[in-house]
Amino acid sequence: MSAGDFILQTRDVAAGYGGGDIISNISVDVEDGKIFTVIGPNGSGKSTFIKVLAGLLRPRVGGITIGDEQIAKLSAPERVAKGVAYVPQEYNVFANLTINENLRLSTEFLKRNRQATDEQRSRVLEMFPEVGSRLTLKAGYLSGGQRQMLAFACAMMAAPVVLLLDEPSAGLAPKFVSEIFDRIKAVNQTGLTVVMIEQNVKEALRIADNVMVLVNGSPRLFVPAAEVGSHDLHKLFLG
Amino acid sequence: MIAQYVWNGFVSGMILALPAIALTLVYGILKFPNFAFGAMMTAGAYIALVLNVNFGLSLLWSAALATIIFAMIAVVIDQTVFRQLRDRDSITLLVCSMGVSFVLENIARFIFGNAARSFDIAIARPKYLLGLKINNEQIITAIVALSAMAAIYFILRHTALGRAMRAIADNPSLAAVRGVRRENIICWTWVIAGGLTATAGVLAGMDRAIDPMLGWNYIVSTFAAAILGGLGNPVGAVVGALAVGIVEETSTLFIPPNYRQAISFLVIALLLLMRPQGLLGVATIKK
Repeated sequence: MSAGDFILQTRDVAAGYGGGDIISNISVDVEDGKIFTVIGPNGSGKSTFIKVLAGLLRPRVGGITIGDEQIAKLSAPERVAKGVAYVPQEYNVFANLTINENLRLSTEFLKRNRQATDEQRSRVLEMFPEVGSRLTLKAGYLSGGQRQMLAFACAMMAAPVVLLLDEPSAGLAPKFVSEIFDRIKAVNQTGLTVVMIEQNVKEALRIADNVMVLVNGSPRLFVPAAEVGSHDLHKLFLG
Repeated sequence: MIAQYVWNGFVSGMILALPAIALTLVYGILKFPNFAFGAMMTAGAYIALVLNVNFGLSLLWSAALATIIFAMIAVVIDQTVFRQLRDRDSITLLVCSMGVSFVLENIARFIFGNAARSFDIAIARPKYLLGLKINNEQIITAIVALSAMAAIYFILRHTALGRAMRAIADNPSLAAVRGVRRENIICWTWVIAGGLTATAGVLAGMDRAIDPMLGWNYIVSTFAAAILGGLGNPVGAVVGALAVGIVEETSTLFIPPNYRQAISFLVIALLLLMRPQGLLGVATIKK
């Protein structure tokens, strides 16, 4: 596989808060149009890794590229402008803004070429009909599942190149979990690359193409999702 | 007679509302109570005084130019002082704002001295309406303050800048990953806060003598107004300002006028005990 097939790559990334590194030596190649899932036990550094990709935490060393462009030193808003969309695990919508304001804000500070066209907005609202049906409602009144849908819709408004998802099923009622993963798959089938970290391994593997197992801040395994079953995850997770 | 006090209180509340909105906007975006707004009012009043008295401009033009000039000065203060301490805790920034306050106040004292001054405006007879005595200055204050409030409401509710300001106040990290550049929005927040406080300084200078301590007369009442409405809530700041203005003014029916600011202290104390989030604020739980 050539480098041109990878939309997102990291090389020897290390990052952390305060003194020590939470993650180190992470080098990944994310194929264009695929779902790349990061799994691992609690405290393994999954959230730190995705925050580094989103630009909320700068890597101490290492490189991150989108296509051919180095983005490691860019701020979060600058990465959004390059096509990186991020949906945080919680507090992923502006509770004091209406649904319509949340959607508008997602692109109105981007350059004109990334601002949502009417066509893009219609496409997103078609993809997330529960969002479009109550545009004037404050997002704070939505349920957890509805907020997650709105957060996805906001991320999709700028027609991103890569969608980063931080535990999309966290805190959701079990009946919504499968639906959320189905939506992620549907979004991916439009050609969008997805990088997802997830605790719900079973559901995550159902839709993933490639998997990285992260333990104690370092990658332990890279494998196609279909082959994860041949590895002993318990043993990997426990080190 | 009570109606007259209520009207006077309403006008005082209008003056208070502008720095209260500025205080609450800066608090919402930067998460610290800016103690310097009193000195910012004073600085705005002096700039307008120079334009009005020394350059002979009308008070309207002087006020408009002072608002623009001080809005730019507020950005310079932010870039040179507050930006260096951007992610420090709120107490550090509060103390820093006290320093800014002392510097601004003493610059005014150094240039203009301690003597009280006043704008060059014609004295007009008061008007009488439904038994109320209404001064020209009161009408101007009400019109200017209401216009400023309407403009701020429009900006916050119907512009991209307002949405971004509310978004950053709600969740700065999420705003960043939605492409909002916080520093740009902070800059505009200081433009608005500087403009509002300078305008309030001019209105205060029409109401009383201009001296280096002008803004100090409004500090306790403005904090009371902002806290009463719920810090971070601009509509609440206006409601709080009107309530504090009217209560302070009508309290002089029962207590000596010198003690009326004690009412503001009482408002702050009672609110912090009974409803710390303010009248229009929302209670939050820190996990």
